[in-house]
Amino acid sequence: MSAITTPGGHPLGADAGAGQGSQPVAAPMPRGRRRTELLMLIFVVGVVMLAYANVGLGLNGKIPAGMFEYGLAFAVLVGAAHVAVRWLAPYADPLLLPLAALLNGLGIVMIYRLQEAGRGGNPGVQISTMSSSTTLFQVFYTTIGMAAFVAVLAFIRQPRTLQRYTYTLGAIGLVLVALPAVLPSSISEVPGTLAKIQISVGGFTVQPEEFAKLALAVFFAGYLVAKRDVLALAGRHVLGIDLPRARDLGPVLIAWGVSLVVLIFESDIGTSALFFGLFVVMMYVATQRSSWLIIGFLLFIFGSFVASQLFAHVHDRVVVWLDPFKYVHTTGFQLSQGLYGLGFGGVLGRGLGQGQPYLTPLVQSDFITTAFGEELGLAGMMALLLIYGLIVQRGLRAAIAVRDPFSKLLAGGLAFVVALQVFVIVGGVTRLIPLTGITTPFLSQGGSSLIASWMGIALLMRISDTARRPAPQPIQDEGMTQVVRAG
Amino acid sequence: MNRALRRVSLICLVLFVALLINVNYVQGFQASSLANEPGNGRTISATLQFQRGSIVTADQKVVAYSKMNKNFGEYQRHYPFGKMYAPVTGYNTLFSQTGIEGAANKDLAGTDPALEVHNLIDLISGKQKKGATVELTVNSAAQQAAWNALRASGRESGVVAINPQTGAILALASYPTFDPNLLATLDGNKLNSNDKRLLRDPAHPLINNAISTTFPPGSTFKIVTSSTAFATGKVADQNTPVFAPTRLTLPGTTTQLINDNGSACNNGGNPTGNGKVPLIFAFTVSCNTVFGALGEKLSASALQAQASKYNFNNPNLTLAPGMRVATSNFPLYKDPAQRAGAAIGQESDTVTPLQEAMLSAAMANTGVPMKPSLIQKVTAPDLSAVQTATPATLSTPVTPTQAAHLQAMMTNVVQSPDGTAHATAGTQVTGGITIAGKTGTAQNGINNSGLDDAVFTCYAPTTQPQIAVGVVVKGGGFGADAAAPIAVQIIKAYLASQGKG
Repeated sequence: MSAITTPGGHPLGADAGAGQGSQPVAAPMPRGRRRTELLMLIFVVGVVMLAYANVGLGLNGKIPAGMFEYGLAFAVLVGAAHVAVRWLAPYADPLLLPLAALLNGLGIVMIYRLQEAGRGGNPGVQISTMSSSTTLFQVFYTTIGMAAFVAVLAFIRQPRTLQRYTYTLGAIGLVLVALPAVLPSSISEVPGTLAKIQISVGGFTVQPEEFAKLALAVFFAGYLVAKRDVLALAGRHVLGIDLPRARDLGPVLIAWGVSLVVLIFESDIGTSALFFGLFVVMMYVATQRSSWLIIGFLLFIFGSFVASQLFAHVHDRVVVWLDPFKYVHTTGFQLSQGLYGLGFGGVLGRGLGQGQPYLTPLVQSDFITTAFGEELGLAGMMALLLIYGLIVQRGLRAAIAVRDPFSKLLAGGLAFVVALQVFVIVGGVTRLIPLTGITTPFLSQGGSSLIASWMGIALLMRISDTARRPAPQPIQDEGMTQVVRAG
Repeated sequence: MNRALRRVSLICLVLFVALLINVNYVQGFQASSLANEPGNGRTISATLQFQRGSIVTADQKVVAYSKMNKNFGEYQRHYPFGKMYAPVTGYNTLFSQTGIEGAANKDLAGTDPALEVHNLIDLISGKQKKGATVELTVNSAAQQAAWNALRASGRESGVVAINPQTGAILALASYPTFDPNLLATLDGNKLNSNDKRLLRDPAHPLINNAISTTFPPGSTFKIVTSSTAFATGKVADQNTPVFAPTRLTLPGTTTQLINDNGSACNNGGNPTGNGKVPLIFAFTVSCNTVFGALGEKLSASALQAQASKYNFNNPNLTLAPGMRVATSNFPLYKDPAQRAGAAIGQESDTVTPLQEAMLSAAMANTGVPMKPSLIQKVTAPDLSAVQTATPATLSTPVTPTQAAHLQAMMTNVVQSPDGTAHATAGTQVTGGITIAGKTGTAQNGINNSGLDDAVFTCYAPTTQPQIAVGVVVKGGGFGADAAAPIAVQIIKAYLASQGKG
């Protein structure tokens, strides 16, 4: 990552912080690369349609009935998003939309496959937590998600405008996080778990933490940009690390405390880890002091250890992680079933519709990657991880390319939180780390996560658009009309 | 900030590489060990996708087979004889197997390494994979007779019949028992409710009384006591006179051992109950005092060592891999009073019906007990034999001459008019088949207030024996009355089937 180049290989102005960005850009203006995006999107629609057909053929040897309608709906949605990007963010990264659309499309296909298990004479057992309209709902949520994507692009024309709402969004974020904790369990508890992370009224369920993640990322970025000089002040120098001054530890301790509160009152280890990790990494990016990473990491380890000693449900997770098969009939059932599915899939997978992912409880949400691992094998699993990896990489590239420090922090934070979320949930279901239930971005069934993920992608695209947008051409001659390049 | 952002991208890279390595480990390297985890439903249903091998008797009666169930799209197990063969085949549920279904699971499921070449050939030739056929040593006529007799008794009971020369099990029945078809259902909920019902049943139908339940041996243990007396040289042969009191005061106690009804052990030459009688007479009428006194005289270790040679105190006996037999106990009785009781099958002595059959089988095989076995042959789907059983001896507790003494004694028990089993197993009821055996009536409960357990061990015919049987009927009363007729029916059925063949 020594040189920053556009996807086309054109050198781009280096970042403002380094103080060398004053050289005039002699190269041709960067292209918007919307045509690349369109080609990739056509490819995505093709892949998703093939996967959809594959599910039907795997389940009962027939092309699924609604294939044309679903395919058309998906193509229209993706096409609309593409047109909106051409109009609202013509210089945005060309890969982010296709990557997110591919994950979203494959998620719908897998949810359809899980919904169809045991229904209409298909092999397998019906998943009691899914209805025959679950897929339709997911398509509906996708529509809202893409609408939210367009809305974010439309309303936030400059990422810096968000900076104005730093504390407003911070307050909103905290309220969203805290709300389920103070609501009665009947409204906020996820059925069958201890986690109090949702608001369920009249059949509609919202997981506010998904949106809190975005609000808090904006808040952290605004707050840290303002305070970074103070936080970067060095205190003692120990073992080659500049430790911060003791009185500057306040914010990180508060963030730590809030994440512990989430953990204790909402029994949601995953979200707690996510928020804290996000804060620490953004603090590190803002101050460039690696001591924050080390302090944050140690605090997290300490907090987790104490929590595992104090709370039975946290302790259970660790015990099950160490030997899930010992508890295969009780607390280790879900994890064991997920692992059996992964093993059953092997290297090349059983094929869509031909595995038994329905044996794993809640496979359509937290454990959906094990369903992919079972039916598409190690190959499909690695492909999924690489897609996530690419999204993170494109996000970080936008962060590095953009000049404005607020946008830089925000993009870095948003990209990192995707990486951390994928690590926590995929690492959990594959027994790399103790399992903590959080959603898999774009894949898991459910509206909140999907909509929030699309909003996050919109923010990243807005920032990359800002980064890659050419500076307005100076008007050479008053008699000439300024040429505005489109797309 | 760009330096920090580049470090963050490095952190992200590390996170993703860790995930990639881990999924490679789980799906690449761990896949086969995950598949072998017990309780892995995916492996179970994969095994239901092809036909499990059948279990057949030695005379080719199919007792367990798999057939495609169209509703589930999976192969379902069927047991055409229902309860009759349950103690032999065990069951094959979605989650676990017992009996031969468990012991020969790898052969039946076709996953045994010995079958891999066949599987490979089937794969290449496009034939559907099939499990191997397991051929039992069991004879269907003997098994049918055994099951009918136990069911008619209506009491908790077990019976085993053995070929004395090979140790091959000819019949193995238990009552009460269960219908394995109930547990072969592919419907998980139905399976659970059936399983719960069987587990809760106060009669314990899932317990295999023939090999998993132990009972007091009663007077049948006198075979082992006599055999120890011969082997240690304390008694020369069956005609040697032995001390025969009417009452035997056990050393160090005031307890008196008596004979049945307190009668004297009198062959006509011992009316006062202070003299001696030939050992064979004491054995024929089953005098407790004679064998109690003999037990006192024998050393504790000699008695236990001899019992162990007949497979007492062996926790490792299996009828097929993993099909364990409950241990028949004969502890070291250092106290002579206890030893006197133990010598006549009281105290802590316990036996399985299989152990009873093995005692007679050893006598019938010139004193050599053979290792019992239940599987005769495993045949691959292409009809080639994968494995065949070879008989194995367990030990040599007595010489052939000493065995001949014991044979004479056991013959007398049935054939002599004063023998305890003459009325119920003599030639007048067997249609000319000569049986040799020993009865046992084990007292039960506090002050022997409970119903007696009836025990009978025997072999037939007395010359060139072909079958040995051990029967225990809990609460059946006299061994001769409740147990011997069951053995007679099995022997008649088996010898008749052999005569035809």
